[in-house]
Amino acid sequence: MIAEISDLRYSYGRVLGLDGISLTLPEGAVGLLGPNGAGKSTLLRILLGFLSPQQGSGRVLGFDIRLEQARIRRYVGYMPEDDCLIPGMDSVTFTAHFGELSGMPRQEAMKRAHDVLFYVGLGESRYRLLDTYSAGMKQRLKLAQAIVHDPKLLFLDEPTSNLDPQGRKEILELIKDISSKKEIQVLICSHILSDIESVCSDVVILNKGRLAAQGKLSELREVQYRLYEIRTKGEGPGFVERLKGLGCRVQETEDKLLRVYVPAEMDIREIFVAAEETQSQVRHFVRSQTSLEDLFAKAVGVD
Amino acid sequence: MTIREKGYAHWDGQLQERRFPWAPITWLGIRLAFKRKYFKFILFGSMVPAIVFLVGIYISERMEDFQYMFRGNKQLLEVNPAYFKTYLCSDFLLFMMVMILVVSGAGLISDDLKHNSLQLYFARPLKKSGYLVGKANVVVFFLLLLTLVPGLVFILFKLLFAGNFRFLASYPWLPLAVVGYSLFVTAFFCSYTLLFSSLSKNRRYVSILIFTVYLFSDILFGFFYENYKNPAFALISLKANLQQVGSWFFRLKPAYDVPWYWSLLILLAFGAAAGLVLNRKVRSVEVVK
Repeated sequence: MIAEISDLRYSYGRVLGLDGISLTLPEGAVGLLGPNGAGKSTLLRILLGFLSPQQGSGRVLGFDIRLEQARIRRYVGYMPEDDCLIPGMDSVTFTAHFGELSGMPRQEAMKRAHDVLFYVGLGESRYRLLDTYSAGMKQRLKLAQAIVHDPKLLFLDEPTSNLDPQGRKEILELIKDISSKKEIQVLICSHILSDIESVCSDVVILNKGRLAAQGKLSELREVQYRLYEIRTKGEGPGFVERLKGLGCRVQETEDKLLRVYVPAEMDIREIFVAAEETQSQVRHFVRSQTSLEDLFAKAVGVD
Repeated sequence: MTIREKGYAHWDGQLQERRFPWAPITWLGIRLAFKRKYFKFILFGSMVPAIVFLVGIYISERMEDFQYMFRGNKQLLEVNPAYFKTYLCSDFLLFMMVMILVVSGAGLISDDLKHNSLQLYFARPLKKSGYLVGKANVVVFFLLLLTLVPGLVFILFKLLFAGNFRFLASYPWLPLAVVGYSLFVTAFFCSYTLLFSSLSKNRRYVSILIFTVYLFSDILFGFFYENYKNPAFALISLKANLQQVGSWFFRLKPAYDVPWYWSLLILLAFGAAAGLVLNRKVRSVEVVK
């Protein structure tokens, strides 16, 4: 377990940021999802001790979020969303500086800075001034400073923003490598669902400051509904209406493929009964994988 | 083989709890200051008065050798508390200190605000006070180099050149006065610089603020003083206030007929205001309510 919070509440003046959230973040890579203003960044900032919750309690890596913030920060790496650097420095000095601030001895920090810069792919440009770095390089540098002190837990806030497809792929590979093979727990806050899907095993979905869904990605997909792809010949609209009447959510693609979200409690045979009654021939019937997008849409109540 | 090819490697060391968590910030600030354009030149220029005053102390002990130079003006080189006050409160030294602040101190917080680096600092086991002390110490380092170090060196060399402790016996409080005034002027300029540095994300604006507020307050004082001949206008000028307080430290009559403690109060109020603003401005995250 990387973190455990209970009844966490935080408001920015009259605007409610978090409204009584209680959750447990398991080990591994966890994705933190939610639309803009859902409270993702607020939660991350509270876990880091940047903001003090007005109500509730919590522990990160076993340390109290109110009383042991310095200890949490010693063992946590944070990659912020915004571009952040210190002008006039090269990346080795920059990374080593933050290693030192985390408690590494100076020589060790410098040595380690070289290592992590090579790891994130900035080895060749590690003596270049940060002011001359591209957006992708700055993103890698932020990851380097977050892992320089070998944290036990990594908070990544929108790690792939501002990146081209290739850069995004590489950063995701790095995160996968860190989270899957090296026993470093990762909490990724992102609005790019495919990123979360490719890296995380667990997700937490927030909506309007509240917990909308939480759990293992595979289990959530199973529990919420089953997705079938159906192609029919004959009375299409009547069949669709009938399915909707049975409680299914139906999407029709451009090539006339029906994506039918079947409630967990519904018997599949009812689909075929409905087809017979509306004189539709079922030509294609395949169980499909629900995407995180579907899950997200259902959790936050949008199509 | 590069690390990238090897994959992520753990660090096998142990993270330590630092006694002075702000120390890396200070050293980095000092190193970055030396990289700035003209900084070395300004720093060297600021040290010229110290060299001149040191030579003065040597000459004062070898008066018979330099008599031809000072016919009738021997009191110029009389090394006493006034000599120290003249050095530490001189217009030139104070001006050069402000120049040092402009070059080395303007960006201390403003650059972090501009580049969103505060969150990186506070994601480390570092408190707000640690961050501010680390930044302030950059200014402290350079200012003490111009005030405390020369002041103590003057006393040391005076004793060395004289070959006895008569000077110290005459003014036993002088080392304390040097230390006290140096710390006071440094603390004031620290809060002065950090205050302005936290007010803007633009280093240039901060530089202009640091320079013009100091200069303009003195110009304003000069204008009113010349027109109304009221010494109370000295309280407007930062420079005059520092000199008034300096006079008290060195047990001398203040240059203007205003109680020194008024000047002290004004400077302390400035420092307190700076503390309040810094506490509000320096945050790990920008919270917009």
